[in-house]
Amino acid sequence: MNWALSIFYYIVTVLVVLVYGLLLYAFIAKTMARVQGRIGIPIYQPFLDIIQTYGRRTAVTHGYMFDLGPVFRLTGGLGTLAFIPVIYGSEIFGNFHFAGDLLLVMYFIFFGQLGMALGAGESGHPYAPMGIARGLAQMTAFEVPFALAVIAVFMQYETASITEIVAAQQGSIYNWTLFTNPFAVLAAMFAFLGMSMYPPFDLVTAPNEIPIGPPTEYHSAYLSLLQTNRAIFAGAKLVLFMNLFFGGATNLPIMVLKTWAIYMIPVLIGVAFPRFKVENSIRFFLGVPTLVGIIAVLYMQYWGTV
Amino acid sequence: MVTELLSPLNIIIIALGAGFLLPLIHARSPRFAGQVMFASLLYFVIISAYHFYTLIGGAPAVEIITAGIQPPFAINLRFGLAEAFVLLAVNTAALFGARYMFDELREHASAMILFIVWIMGINGMVMTRDLFNLFIFVEITAVSSFVLVAMRANSIALSAGFKYVIAGTMASGFLLLGTMLLYYQTGTLNIDDLIIHQEMITGPFGTAALMLVLGAILVELKPFPANGWGLDVYQAAPAGIAALLSVGVSAAYLFALYKILPLLTSFLPVIAATGLLTFVASNFIGLRQSDPRRLLGYSSVGQLGLMVTALALLTKFSLTEYIPLVVGGLFISHFLAKAGLFWLAGIIKGSELGDWSQLRSKPVLIIAFLFLITALAGLPPFPTFWAKWQLVMSLMEYQQHGWVFFILLGSLLEVVYLFRWFGKAVSSQSDKALDISSSGNRQWLPVVLFVGLLLACGQVMASSFDLPVMALLPVYAGLLLMLIDGLGERLKQIASLLVIIAYSVYLIPSLDGLNWIFGLMLLPGSILILIASTYQQGTARPGFYPLFVMLVLSLGTLLAAETMLGFFLAWELMTVSSYLLVSLGKKATRPSLVYLVFSIAGAFLILFAFALIYAQTGSMQLSAIGQAGIVSNWPFILLLSGFFIKMGGLGVHVWLPDAYAECDDDFTAMMSSVVSKAGVFGLFVVGTQMTAQLNDMDTILTVVGWVGLIMALAGAIMAAMSEDIKHLLAYSSIGQLGYIVTTFAIANHTGWVAAMYLAVNHLLYKGLIFLAIAGVLYRVKTRYMYQMGGLIKNMPISFISVLIGIITISGVPPLLGFGGKWLLYNALLERGWYLQAGLAFFASAVAFLYLFKLIHTIFLGQRKSEHEHVKEAPLALLIPQITFMVLIMAFSMFPNILIQPLSDAVAPFMASTFTWEGYLLITENGYWNGFLVMNIVGVLFMAPAILLWLVSKKMKVQKVKQFNIVFAAERPFTPATTHYAYNFYAFYDKAIGFLTRPDATRFWNGVSEWGHTVGASLRRFYTGNGQTYAGLILFYIGVMYLAVRTL
Repeated sequence: MNWALSIFYYIVTVLVVLVYGLLLYAFIAKTMARVQGRIGIPIYQPFLDIIQTYGRRTAVTHGYMFDLGPVFRLTGGLGTLAFIPVIYGSEIFGNFHFAGDLLLVMYFIFFGQLGMALGAGESGHPYAPMGIARGLAQMTAFEVPFALAVIAVFMQYETASITEIVAAQQGSIYNWTLFTNPFAVLAAMFAFLGMSMYPPFDLVTAPNEIPIGPPTEYHSAYLSLLQTNRAIFAGAKLVLFMNLFFGGATNLPIMVLKTWAIYMIPVLIGVAFPRFKVENSIRFFLGVPTLVGIIAVLYMQYWGTV
Repeated sequence: MVTELLSPLNIIIIALGAGFLLPLIHARSPRFAGQVMFASLLYFVIISAYHFYTLIGGAPAVEIITAGIQPPFAINLRFGLAEAFVLLAVNTAALFGARYMFDELREHASAMILFIVWIMGINGMVMTRDLFNLFIFVEITAVSSFVLVAMRANSIALSAGFKYVIAGTMASGFLLLGTMLLYYQTGTLNIDDLIIHQEMITGPFGTAALMLVLGAILVELKPFPANGWGLDVYQAAPAGIAALLSVGVSAAYLFALYKILPLLTSFLPVIAATGLLTFVASNFIGLRQSDPRRLLGYSSVGQLGLMVTALALLTKFSLTEYIPLVVGGLFISHFLAKAGLFWLAGIIKGSELGDWSQLRSKPVLIIAFLFLITALAGLPPFPTFWAKWQLVMSLMEYQQHGWVFFILLGSLLEVVYLFRWFGKAVSSQSDKALDISSSGNRQWLPVVLFVGLLLACGQVMASSFDLPVMALLPVYAGLLLMLIDGLGERLKQIASLLVIIAYSVYLIPSLDGLNWIFGLMLLPGSILILIASTYQQGTARPGFYPLFVMLVLSLGTLLAAETMLGFFLAWELMTVSSYLLVSLGKKATRPSLVYLVFSIAGAFLILFAFALIYAQTGSMQLSAIGQAGIVSNWPFILLLSGFFIKMGGLGVHVWLPDAYAECDDDFTAMMSSVVSKAGVFGLFVVGTQMTAQLNDMDTILTVVGWVGLIMALAGAIMAAMSEDIKHLLAYSSIGQLGYIVTTFAIANHTGWVAAMYLAVNHLLYKGLIFLAIAGVLYRVKTRYMYQMGGLIKNMPISFISVLIGIITISGVPPLLGFGGKWLLYNALLERGWYLQAGLAFFASAVAFLYLFKLIHTIFLGQRKSEHEHVKEAPLALLIPQITFMVLIMAFSMFPNILIQPLSDAVAPFMASTFTWEGYLLITENGYWNGFLVMNIVGVLFMAPAILLWLVSKKMKVQKVKQFNIVFAAERPFTPATTHYAYNFYAFYDKAIGFLTRPDATRFWNGVSEWGHTVGASLRRFYTGNGQTYAGLILFYIGVMYLAVRTL
């Protein structure tokens, strides 16, 4: 294995995903604005924002953990991406998927969130822990249907290797998990609503209660790291969902198309619904979505292998 | 010449002679009279000691024939080994007892005479082989007892003495009637002759005759419910007399029962039942008792009941070769401990259990008290422990489950009230002061001496079992360190460290496989925690080091145990020492008692299982567990339940949060990280022995698997709702041990490696976090997290410890914890436990809640103004923390150095399914390269870090104070009110708070309440009215008669 080449390819992947993620963000923002009858931002606005925040001359720090929060956050995004093969069969977009399987990805997602939570905690701002507490609480709930969905997928393909899961879905659209294991996909998409931070589950940043929550105190270069991460992390998550449930992608355009389509689901639901209270959100995820997840597992256990 | 001088008959002659002379001498010189009395008593001791010595060397029993005619035509006395043993004990107690109460005795010559005659009566009852002669000695003993009880001449003592007269007279009457009827049927009064001709004792007359003799003796042994008079006597009599009544007179009656037992073969079940009823009922009533004298009475009565039961049952099953060990062991324990406790009771002023806190002013006495209590409770290394072990094993061989169950139940109740008493003694404040100066050492020295004898007897009994030489090492090491407990803290710490290190160096190389891994975990883990023990500068910790060493060494002997007895012994020693260490906490009285009771209950489950296994296989080796498993699942279930209790398993976890919270802060680290692993070790002992049967135990294992995960979830949710930092971590321990239980139940290679990995993991991070928290608590003096906040500035190293700890617990890569989670899911999926995997995921997600709460509310957010000048934790705490962190980082970087030995150790039992490619570990389902992940994450971390650093080089970065925040809309008031910490997850409580109802606590409180109610109801028999008592005696004899007739 040529490490230098691997690293170079990985950097390419990160840049591609970053650009794509920022574009996607702008596109969604624009879509939502149009739904609400506004014009919305220009498509290049996120790039301007990121350059602007990187270019700031001053910053205020609350301590070392505060400084490290965004670093953790971005590492989380970069790492999650690093362990997921973005494009099936591609050497360039294969990343370091050989370091670990699906379980590694599922747990590495927490890395950035935990680090960020700690950094935000040191900021001393009460909105930060409030947002984090809500976020963590909601996370515990939506992880249940998600985990059950992933388990059902595992049962179906009898492997935790993402590459092999994608491989098994190749050939026909009917080989996608979406069609072969519909309950799992349904449960996972419920969970995805929670992960995406759009209404009705945008509790963490809840703009008119705890203005933007955890990152309240972050600005300038710190904020720019968070913005960078938002693009990369969103991209990584979308790719993960695409790989597990929607047949993966064999080239870049397919990847763009599929991930955009997946992303539209929470966006469309988000523009139509008001926000849940935290306890309602928790109960929601532990209700029907969890039931669907259980059905997915039982379905696989008793009929899936027939 | 010597033999004649030391003839047992001389006891009676001397006593009568002294009785005659004493009034004369006393009139001249009271001082000399006293010396005569002591000389006589000493002479009794010498005679019994001499014969005991020669008899044990194999000499034949001494037969004393009176009137020059052979028995059965004349009265004969016998002095065999059993007689010598009992009389040596009784006469020794009499000698010390006389010395103890000499102040009272020397007033009157009559008191001295009575005392001597009393002791002679006891000697006679033991020696005689003639039924009528027995009656004579009974009368002599009884009459002198009545008077001695009432010696103080206050109304309570007089009334108690009078009740004693009523009961004693009734008993003697029965005895005489029975003797007459027997003589009528057989024409002989000689006991041996009666036994030979027992076929002549027939019909209703014969039954009635035997019934009356038996009834008389049993009544004197104070069976429930016909024992109210006896309890009043114990309570009212002078302490010295009560002591000898409890140990001397009762011993004589017990011995009398032993002598006539061959006549009573058809009565044995009834005798055993009445003994057991007394044992259980007195112990139930003991729960409610608040007067220590009366409590001792209940304990005496109960112990006698147990001895009667043991005697009857062993005879019934022709196990008479165990009578010396079992009944002798129970007797000597009861004898020494009860005498010691009654003597202590005489020293203490006041009649409440709490008044025993006076003993604290003399450390040697509180330690003696502890030893006496421990001996009574049947804990090692004291004689009762060995006796009960043998009794349970022997009974189980004959499938006597019911008897064993009730014996263990009674023993458990006994532990409850005895240690509740001890707890009161160490925690209460008595307004009275201990005054022992006036009597010199006369009153307390015998107590200490008897404690020494107890230890010696325990050692002697231990030697009759097949045990390794080191089995009792924990006790001796503890005792040795106790001797230097008065020295400086640092010195004791170093001594303890040296002992433990030396022991580790000795022990670890001799272990292999899983035991070796446990050895590498537990002993070095203990050493690290012990390094922290001096962190509270200037605070003395009496008892801490001896007990700590005892605990660690008993863990070691547990690992080295090869027999079930060795295992159980080490387990009990560990329980006792950890209980005592927990009880050293400031408010730990109740929590430590609850801990002890649950632990002992768990230990009894283990004992029961061992006995079942022994009965099924006839082998005492631990390897017999596997063979027994073929026959039934019960041993497996019982053992699992026993270990489950130790681990704080779901439903039986109620002891854990408070025990962890209230013990000393650094010891909590020990409890959680090291001691809880003993339960895990137990699981593996069972598992590795039963590998062959595990395949057929699918249902049990599935249940255990679910229970473990529910434990994990419940622990996590409870932790998230806790405001008390130590409760939070305690619940977290419950949750984390839940995963270990589940992975153990998975019972495949991955599962067991996961269980071991999780255990190592738990040891490291719980040691780390609890020590870090000990530092925080030492500095901020509150356990409530919402009263802290923002301490990262003051305690950066402690913060890093907790940070590393919580990342490890959470299972986030790249640290050690991820490996545990990865193995856990792999194992679950491999086993096909899919829904369980979903539950595991939920539980591990909920864990994030409490982990963030833990670190945030303590270290992040806003600082309280009073904590502005808080310092970093003491160095003593930081050194072990740093060591733990280094270990965590090393294992995180190279997971293979941990997983590979674990896999190798598990492989002999569960064939390995792992494939290694360098650092890459491949299982059936997945793969993970821990080394690579660590490196990737490390490099990736550097990227944004360097980016931020480069950007900030160009910027003007201003560092602001904690309260300087950009606040929306309004101005924050004070840092204290801006810290978001209290009721952190209020909405979680609203959503699924119903899961946190303390149902288990409520259930166990109900059980405890019920026990007390039973005790209270049983106590209603004791009205204090002599007529009622007499009625009860008649009622008792009547019921006995009916029972015997129906059999």
